[in-house]
Amino acid sequence: MIDKDRPILETRELSKRFSIGTRFSSQGKRTVHAVDNVSLTVRRGETVGLVGESGCGKSTLARCLVRLYDITDGKLLFEGDDITGRSLAELRPFRRRLQMVFQDPSASLNPRRRVGDLVAEPLRIHTKLSSSEITRRVAELFDLVGLLPDHVMRYPHEFSGGQRQRVGIARAIALNPDLVVLDEPVSALDVSVQAQIVNLLADLQEKLKLTYIFIAHDLSVVRQVSTRIAVMYLGSIVEEGPAEEVFETPAHPYSQALISAVPVVETTANGVRKRIILTGDVPSPLKPPSGCRFHPRCPIAVDRCRVERPELTEHRPGRKVACHFPTLSSL
Amino acid sequence: MMLSVRDLRVSFRTHEGLVRAIDGVSFELEEGEILGVVGESGSGKTVSLLAVMGLITDPNAVIEGSIRYKGRELVGLPARELRRLRGNEIAMIFQDPMTALTPVYTIGWQISEQIRAHKRVSKSQALARVEELLAEVNFPNPREAMSRFPHQLSGGMRQRAVIAMALSCNPALLVADEPTTALDVTVQAGILDLVRKLRATHNSAVVFITHDMGVVSELADRVMVMYAGRVVERGSRAELFSAPQHPYTRALLGSIPPLTGEKPHRLPAIPGSPPSLLRLPEGCAFGPRCPVNYEPCRTGKPDLGHGTHAAACFRVQA
Repeated sequence: MIDKDRPILETRELSKRFSIGTRFSSQGKRTVHAVDNVSLTVRRGETVGLVGESGCGKSTLARCLVRLYDITDGKLLFEGDDITGRSLAELRPFRRRLQMVFQDPSASLNPRRRVGDLVAEPLRIHTKLSSSEITRRVAELFDLVGLLPDHVMRYPHEFSGGQRQRVGIARAIALNPDLVVLDEPVSALDVSVQAQIVNLLADLQEKLKLTYIFIAHDLSVVRQVSTRIAVMYLGSIVEEGPAEEVFETPAHPYSQALISAVPVVETTANGVRKRIILTGDVPSPLKPPSGCRFHPRCPIAVDRCRVERPELTEHRPGRKVACHFPTLSSL
Repeated sequence: MMLSVRDLRVSFRTHEGLVRAIDGVSFELEEGEILGVVGESGSGKTVSLLAVMGLITDPNAVIEGSIRYKGRELVGLPARELRRLRGNEIAMIFQDPMTALTPVYTIGWQISEQIRAHKRVSKSQALARVEELLAEVNFPNPREAMSRFPHQLSGGMRQRAVIAMALSCNPALLVADEPTTALDVTVQAGILDLVRKLRATHNSAVVFITHDMGVVSELADRVMVMYAGRVVERGSRAELFSAPQHPYTRALLGSIPPLTGEKPHRLPAIPGSPPSLLRLPEGCAFGPRCPVNYEPCRTGKPDLGHGTHAAACFRVQA
């Protein structure tokens, strides 16, 4: 029985910092705060969408979640087990249940190996299946992601972008994982192909009872696939809530600006929506601003925001905002 | 008529045979007009505009047809003549600002070089103009930005520097090839505003290439949809978005997930993927992916026909 409310993955005040400029001397050593104090709970069967501008730390967070990066601070729990500091060997049993799909399928597939081999590899490493069982499983997986059986003998370059991403997805689900982290899985694809992959991911989620963490910069795609959304800014979550609600009535000024900036097709003759244009750029995570990290660009910032950093507070169940002055009507 | 392209064909000789990247593209552009060109990768949207700019220098390229800029034929024009137009009267903005700027010179140097290549002005006059331009594209501190190198600027700033460079000689025609694709939506919104402002202040004509229907619907006066080297539909923004005719346009618009309202359980996806230009299907190139099953589409290639709102589809024309 699947317990809907039991978290499958949880981060507690997770931080990831990178040191730069340390190779030849300790002088000028600086720290990039890529992910800063993120506490996120992912429940079974849901899709959590991570959105934010480039450099906000969403990909770094994703890589921390599957332990591709070591975690600097805080805790990462998988089904209640603390896997923050586990060694590679200790991680192995978790790895098969925690998979990842990358943005660029041509960069994440070895060009010199047949795609059937690529999909079989996790099975060879993690299971004791015989080679004929592996062949059968690979055929099953190809069918599941909408590739033809004779495709197994092909090389990645013989496929279109959409088909390559299907191979990447087949590889990720080969071991029947519980959780799949999808980092921009449709961004590199042609517009007419994106919807196919979005639908495929939804079908697989239903069939295989998968939990997704979905990262994309295309906000309408994120809204389509996600049950919950976390908006990130400069390494921290600034707003979290049910997908449709956050899009309809964002409470944080940053989420409002971000969502209003998405160009949408207007069928009326001259309807440019009212939009909030943010001034300036995302500050460098080397030198994050004091107080609320969004204050230099925030249209409603006051003195308090320059000094005091707002906590991510739950205003009502499931709806969290990190702002001193959230739009209350949204909450 | 500022720009008039007639039956443009661009082919490339390759090892695997002749690739027809552009197959009979025609369009016109008036002063102060923004034309949006939408298409997926390989649809020919970039190649057709590179042809207009005279930037296809591949010896294996064959360019046919006519490109008239202010009544003057550009196809076959000597490179020297073209260079005089390019950067001066016709300017281009590319997708990736990092590769459009040279990493070893400052922003100020690069833009002033462009000005001095086309106008007889002194170095200090050129630099003064650069400062003006950077202020115009909303650099908070133009004087300081002039001494920066490209790597010291953010992506949005870099693209604005490229736009400043494109504007430096007050071009009558600006060609922008996916100028916001590499940028975040928040930054994109600012750049789109800038393009609108440019049209208002300089009355420049703009050709805006993108794959994003949303961007086109917010910016363009007229829209041209391309598929596999041909224009499949053209019309005014209102016509194209409120009453799309071509099955490809309709399917493309339908497959975009909505940002508000009810979420569809499944997205209406287009099957298959865009065809390789080396192996175009018989008949209509969209045929194999088209939801409409119509006999003539299997053998003949539909033409766009006339009229302001037109679709290259036998079914629509029938």
